[in-house]
Amino acid sequence: MANMLWLQGGACSGNTMSFLNAEEPSACDLVTDFGINVLWQPSLGMDMGENVQKLLRDCVSGAIPLDIFVFEGTVVNAPNGTGTWNRFAGRPMKDWVKELTAAAQFVVALGDCATWGGIPATAPNPSDSKGLQFLKKQHGGFLGANFKSKAGLPVINIPGCPAHPDWVTQVLVAVATGRAGELELDDLQRPKTFFKSFTQTGCTRNMHFAYKVSATEFGQRKGCLFYDLGCRGPMTHSPCNRILWNRQSSKTRAGMPCLGCTEPEFPFFDLAPGSVFKTQTMMGVPKELPEGVDKSAYIKLTAAAKSASPAWAEKDIFVI
Amino acid sequence: MAYLGMDSSNIQPTEEFPEDAPLRAQVEKLLHAGLRSEVEPRAYDPEMQQSVLARLQHVLAEEVAKRVEIAGFTLHPYAAEGIEEACETCMYFLSHRQFCALPELQLPVKPDWSCRLWRI
Ligand code: SF4
Ligand code: SF4
Ligand code: SF4
Repeated sequence: MANMLWLQGGACSGNTMSFLNAEEPSACDLVTDFGINVLWQPSLGMDMGENVQKLLRDCVSGAIPLDIFVFEGTVVNAPNGTGTWNRFAGRPMKDWVKELTAAAQFVVALGDCATWGGIPATAPNPSDSKGLQFLKKQHGGFLGANFKSKAGLPVINIPGCPAHPDWVTQVLVAVATGRAGELELDDLQRPKTFFKSFTQTGCTRNMHFAYKVSATEFGQRKGCLFYDLGCRGPMTHSPCNRILWNRQSSKTRAGMPCLGCTEPEFPFFDLAPGSVFKTQTMMGVPKELPEGVDKSAYIKLTAAAKSASPAWAEKDIFVI
Repeated sequence: MAYLGMDSSNIQPTEEFPEDAPLRAQVEKLLHAGLRSEVEPRAYDPEMQQSVLARLQHVLAEEVAKRVEIAGFTLHPYAAEGIEEACETCMYFLSHRQFCALPELQLPVKPDWSCRLWRI
């Protein structure tokens, strides 16, 4: 039996919603099949008021062993470092976070807000928000770069806006069943099993990418979304086209560009006007070219790819 | 134009769209006859691009000359800083149909034509 406590800081509840939609395994499977005891969770917890405060105090003191602490949302530090803009169970949430992360065997940051600060930490970051162990790309965050939980691991980051339900439940199962050691983390502390490949891996539009046939509008059943609509699939680490959403589809399959939501810089360009759903160009040429390719080589490559493209690349394909 | 021995002008326009050929010929004739299109300023930055697109959105599909004029069509590639901005390499160009798929234009073109909305 592994005790799990889940709290929510500066967040929209998207990751809780995602978690409740999990299928393989489901949130119920965690309890019935994998021995996870949900001490409290914002949408599932039955206790309120005094009872929650007592539960949290017991977790901090060790009276209740805290195996997994899941945090969703940013750590809010405003105003002036007090954190009182986000109070919970009688005190600033950030004070609970400090004590609970010190008491937990494993700490899981869930969603972009908890991992890197996400949308709330976007400039000018009015709530002075931080992720647990990162602020955007900068290592450190609220807990500091050297933080390790009792089991000796840094914060396990499961980014996404929101994270895919199965990334969450599968990581929780690994931790609860004593297989946390098998979770290899990348430089940004994301489990490699999910975040080693790119959104583009498995995208049904890969041939259009190769032949440089562009989609020009959302939802089109042909064309790659990279050239015009700002798809970040080739630069984003996520398994969105390997582990489909709702077991059905993905953004790019539905004709919607990947926004790069699993990367610390998300939302990119601080949401400056004209930066969303638009490939950034200089004199009509993408600003971010594949490594080692200069402008004139890129143009030659484009001409070659386009002239080699088969006729079907210009026709609608069936995309699920 | 030919790059790396590949030449998309060898690709014959698909016959699936019989309406394309007369329309392409009409555009060519208009430009040969001296239609002055707005070749410059180029629509490189997002603001300029938006303003050209916004103007095109107000033009009826049958007003071909107006669309050609606003988009700044030329019958040859526009060259800037050593780069040839030809339909052939433009992201909106469908090489088999020889067609500009930019939603605001939707016109048959030729690989060595160009316009100021070129993007690669
Ligand atoms: S749509 Fe995006 S993910 Fe898919 S091939 Fe194009 S760039 Fe890659
Ligand atoms: S496709 Fe991109 S933006 Fe969408 S969920 Fe996956 S990583 Fe995030
Ligand atoms: S947008 Fe591109 S393909 Fe269309 S006319 Fe202009 S240069 Fe040619």
